[in-house]
Amino acid sequence: MTKVFSLIFLTALIGLSSCTKDPIKDLTTEDSLVYITNRDTSANYKAYKTFSVVDSVTVIENNRRGAALLEIDRDVLTRIISNMKSMGYVQVTPDQKPDLGINVSWITNSQINVTTMPSYWGGYGYGYGYGFGYPSYYQYYQTSESYWHVSMVDFKNPNTVDKTFKVVWDAQIRGSGIGSREFVNTMIDSIYAQSGYLKK
Amino acid sequence: MKKVLFVALFAALFSTVQAQDAPKLYTLPSPFERYTHFLATARMSGAAPVGSFSNSFIDKASLRNFSISIEWVLRNSPLSVGAELGTSYFQKRLPRALYVSGNETLSAVQTRSFTQNPLQLFVNYHFLNKSSMIQPYAQLSGGISIADYSLYYGTLVEQKQKVAPAYGIGLGSKFLFKKDGSLGADVRVKYEGTTFKYGYIDNGTSTINASVGLFYRWW
Repeated sequence: MTKVFSLIFLTALIGLSSCTKDPIKDLTTEDSLVYITNRDTSANYKAYKTFSVVDSVTVIENNRRGAALLEIDRDVLTRIISNMKSMGYVQVTPDQKPDLGINVSWITNSQINVTTMPSYWGGYGYGYGYGFGYPSYYQYYQTSESYWHVSMVDFKNPNTVDKTFKVVWDAQIRGSGIGSREFVNTMIDSIYAQSGYLKK
Repeated sequence: MKKVLFVALFAALFSTVQAQDAPKLYTLPSPFERYTHFLATARMSGAAPVGSFSNSFIDKASLRNFSISIEWVLRNSPLSVGAELGTSYFQKRLPRALYVSGNETLSAVQTRSFTQNPLQLFVNYHFLNKSSMIQPYAQLSGGISIADYSLYYGTLVEQKQKVAPAYGIGLGSKFLFKKDGSLGADVRVKYEGTTFKYGYIDNGTSTINASVGLFYRWW
């Protein structure tokens, strides 16, 4: 009889565990988008006046790095520029020594976290010869999916001791619609909308 | 005189017949009263979160709850003991909102879900005897629950699986379809709790479950 009961419970356990539901199966593409922004509370954003944006998107994929300027990349860069301008910043070229540098990356299938990220930024073309330093409070969710990463680097106040630039703001955009041009405006507008402290 | 003898004889014969009729088979106690027997019950239930579980995590009721139990109904005792294995699932979705933590701001549609598979031992106290068509009972249970906490921000998930102590107290009744039959229905209202604590759930989980079920008993 014990064997019969054990069999009944085992069958039930397998049956019950197979009923597991996917809670986000019905999530729309737009609702799947997640915007994560980090700020440096010690930064005085009102002190920055000018900015420059990279001319292409850095693509980081499984520890390999390259640059891309597809239509969606162009859309993203253009929308970032318009948002920066509407917040009161003035766009300048890199050789005009901008106060802020905006870098945009598309990261795929990577286990990179922010602490190892500076090694990917050496090619940033502003001619200062500095690496980038991330404050220790940066934390990210770990997944293997692709995501957009936008960072704002302080070129106005370089750390001359360890030769780094400080990232004073960054944003991640994750979700199932991030590769679609349809959502570019929504995505970029959202990361700026939730960062009202950037406004001059 | 003949009349008196006839009446006496008739009365004697009648009483004899009555005496032979007395141990009728259907007056014997049911085998379910005479022997310890087994009872298997399958239930489905509606469950509503209560207390801090409802206030801080999910306040939406659920119909995705099932269980099976095996029970030993003891002879000459109002008690039965058994084990019950169940599953319950709760889910709630919140519209897009900003979540600020330190220097980080996160904007997302949040989906919360909580699954638990309790495995509990229980004792039932029956208020009426085992041949009664209606058998109300009170139940006390205790065991473990294999709990799965999921907090989705869009498609990003924070999950925690944990085995937590579980307990419950309930009132119910069995309804036999046929006197001394093997099949019946079971209706029960039960408070169930676990000591699971993680994330938004800071004081365990509490639910009120109302279930209907079918049982089969044998000896």
